[in-house]
Amino acid sequence: MTKRSLWRLTVTLLICGACAYFFIPLSQVRLGLDLKGGVHFELEVQGQEALEADLRDTRDRLQDRLKEKGFPDAVLKLDGSVLRAEGVPADQRPAAEKVLQAFYGYDAVFTATGFSLTQKAAYQKSLKDDANKRALQIIENRINQFGVAEPEITATGAEGNRIVVELPGVGDAERERIKGLLTTPGRLEQRLVAKADPTSGRGFPTREAALAFFKGTLPNNTELLPEPVSEHDLRLQGKDPSVHKPGEELPVRAWVLVEEKVYVDGADINKADPSVDPTTDAPQINYTLNKKGADDFAVLSGIAADEQRLIAIVLDRKIVSTLSCREKIIGGSVRITGHFTKADTEDFALKLKSGAMRASMKFLEERAMGPSLGADSIHSGVRAALIGFITIIGFMVFYYRWSGVNAIVALTVNIIVMLGLMGSFHAVITLPGIAGFALTIGMAVDANILIFERIREELGNGKSIPGAIQMGFDKVFWTIVDSHVTQLFAAMLLFIFGTGPVKGFAVTLTVGVCASLFTSIYISRFIYDWILERHPGIKTLSI
Amino acid sequence: MKVFEHLPHIDFMKYKGIALAISWSIILACFLWIHPWKGADAHVKLGMQFTGGIDMMVAFKGDVHQDDLRAALYNGGVRDAGVVAYRDKPGTSVFSIKVKAKKGQDEKDSSAQIKQITDALKHLDASAASDHRADLNTESVGLIADSWVKTNPLALPGDETALRMAYEPWVNKVTKAREQYSPMSDYNQLPQDLPASLRSSIEKEYRLGTLSILKNESFSPSISGEWTWKTLKAVFWAMGAILVYVIFRFTVSFSVGGIVALIHDILMALGLFVLFGFEFSVPVVASFLILIGYSMADTIVVFDRIRENSHKPEYRRVDITKLVNDSINQTLSRTILTSLSVLFVAFCLLVWGGHALRDLSFPIFIGVITGTYSSIFIASPVVVYWDHWFGGAEKIKQHAHPRT
Repeated sequence: MTKRSLWRLTVTLLICGACAYFFIPLSQVRLGLDLKGGVHFELEVQGQEALEADLRDTRDRLQDRLKEKGFPDAVLKLDGSVLRAEGVPADQRPAAEKVLQAFYGYDAVFTATGFSLTQKAAYQKSLKDDANKRALQIIENRINQFGVAEPEITATGAEGNRIVVELPGVGDAERERIKGLLTTPGRLEQRLVAKADPTSGRGFPTREAALAFFKGTLPNNTELLPEPVSEHDLRLQGKDPSVHKPGEELPVRAWVLVEEKVYVDGADINKADPSVDPTTDAPQINYTLNKKGADDFAVLSGIAADEQRLIAIVLDRKIVSTLSCREKIIGGSVRITGHFTKADTEDFALKLKSGAMRASMKFLEERAMGPSLGADSIHSGVRAALIGFITIIGFMVFYYRWSGVNAIVALTVNIIVMLGLMGSFHAVITLPGIAGFALTIGMAVDANILIFERIREELGNGKSIPGAIQMGFDKVFWTIVDSHVTQLFAAMLLFIFGTGPVKGFAVTLTVGVCASLFTSIYISRFIYDWILERHPGIKTLSI
Repeated sequence: MKVFEHLPHIDFMKYKGIALAISWSIILACFLWIHPWKGADAHVKLGMQFTGGIDMMVAFKGDVHQDDLRAALYNGGVRDAGVVAYRDKPGTSVFSIKVKAKKGQDEKDSSAQIKQITDALKHLDASAASDHRADLNTESVGLIADSWVKTNPLALPGDETALRMAYEPWVNKVTKAREQYSPMSDYNQLPQDLPASLRSSIEKEYRLGTLSILKNESFSPSISGEWTWKTLKAVFWAMGAILVYVIFRFTVSFSVGGIVALIHDILMALGLFVLFGFEFSVPVVASFLILIGYSMADTIVVFDRIRENSHKPEYRRVDITKLVNDSINQTLSRTILTSLSVLFVAFCLLVWGGHALRDLSFPIFIGVITGTYSSIFIASPVVVYWDHWFGGAEKIKQHAHPRT
């Protein structure tokens, strides 16, 4: 064996060995959700909500600041995305500007009697980015605590506001519950039931009834929130509360008028645990607040005790509990029972622990696939690919004789390289991916056919065998490169624009095109050269 | 063995006018029949990913008639569902149920709709009428675990967390088994090593429903437009990239010829795809992109030979028609062989690949046939016409990258 052949053999064996090394630990090959079964969600963070929440929060804080700094008459109102202040005379403008310095995210425009604030574009972007980041973190948190093996959570989309959650092995039965965990922001707010509430916290039976009572316009700085039935209510109605599944929505019992101002929010919660009231067997949640939260809660409970008002605990814009206080509560340890069932308490506590999202989520896509469907698909897909492969092998040997065997060796190396590359990329095998695999094998044979046909043509023109082989490979080289490059363009665009199963398809194609380029030009050539080397005076070529 | 014993001498370019006319009239006819400008009335079947909506696949043990399913859905309040029956396994009836989303529908509506559908399907479950126990085949995994933790059939020591840990592997085994049979029809299909007390607790508390949900997908209408746009963008980028590459490697006339052939192949495959009643999905779009790559690769084989021949002394003074004709004849056997090899794989996927791969392999199957045809009868004539009109025969030689 010459040095050149030895060198080529080493390269070939090294590549095959490396590919086998990457592929042989079969655990590295991951099946896509369409083959393995599981659920897939694509969610969009509703960034607009984060902007609105910031506006509301700014209104509350600015109101307090203005009162502190000597603007007792200042009234703040939200008008769409503009925050308007009235009762700030023009001569006090410098003082007002000083207060506004702390609100650097806002542009202020002064008028004769006040000013209006709008969010700066850069500030809006940072709010949205923050909401996206937080949503991703919280979803990871909740899914991990929920306990799913190998979850895959990724941010996508041009603005990074999309989140794709893939949970293999989760069935359709679990879907609604996970959906609930993913979409609800988990925003806990502790507010006061409005003074103007005529029902002393019991609420109106419907929203319409409440609006009719206030003649269409609610009192300033208040809003109506729904209150779902509690487990106790269900029992009274003669229903079994354990029939209620986690994540399923409870019917609304009443609408309660509450103040818009949030005294303590979920960000100040340290820990939360579900439990059961030992005497009444009612489900309950205990949570403890941090220093700031405890102080704020002391203020809130102080007001409630002094003015004989109720505290409303609001989770995701639903009242989960109303409490009355006899005295100011210090220490920040709260226990609530109320409008939720036992089945919900676990998810409820989980949401409180994982923190609140700045914005809610919208479902763009959700899929649940049973594993049996995937198993059937694998079965028929692999069968079809095998039939195709075996027939092509048969045809090549029948048509090109020993040269056909050469093509089969090249094809085998091709498959090894493809599997190896896919293993090293940790590529996911999807159903279209199996089709892509079969098709690339069909296309890889094309390169060999082009070469062999050219060699035959050159032999027909009276060239010697080594000359014909030389010419065959040289002349076809650029044709093969050109045709592979065009296919590579298509495959790469699929990779850029595709998601999920399509991406798997794109990966197999890209890998297949590259592998085919290598094997048809390098391996087949090497085999011919080796044969010529061993039989220098060869008179006929089996082609 | 050879396709042609002697080099063929077919005057392909004689038929260039007829071929162009026939091809484009077929495409036009398909287009007129589809009438895409009529929007919702067009004869195009779009997958739920493009329109937004619910796409489910369900299986029943035993025979369920398609009309019964339709009636059950109708009575359950699902009025506009599309139902298609598949018959994959003997003794099981498999259906696909599709409900298009209405404008402005959000995920709450689709959740409610899914519930409506599953409730309607449960009416078809014969065992549900006489038996009020929960259905093991559709019960939530968490609830099975909950009930065992509560009743503790193995009488294990420890608190709730310890019990949950202890029962978890058994719950997983049971769910694996039910997924394997989907739906499970006999308590004997429970895992063999399941302790007797757990087995009897299942037999006591759960019935075996005949329904199982194989696939349950829902797409928001708000991203459906996005999918269409994304897809078109991918196709245009692919064509643009190929156009630029061919201009760079060959000349403008080849590039135009290649792109015209490409558009021909895409339109032909699209027309036939719709004509045969297939449905568009995202993987199908992917297969159209493959078609683009393949069709161009096939054309390049012919183009490469035209360019190579144009440098030979014997073609220096001849007409471009003869140059193109000879080049096609010289490459004819390899064009046929390479097409057949891919065509055969596409054929196997089409016939034996199962219904999931059928939609995907059809455009490729058509694309390989038209790709071969268009390399000869569309791409090459365009090069000839272009050179007749713009006198580019010399340009082919000048601009071609000379190589050895």
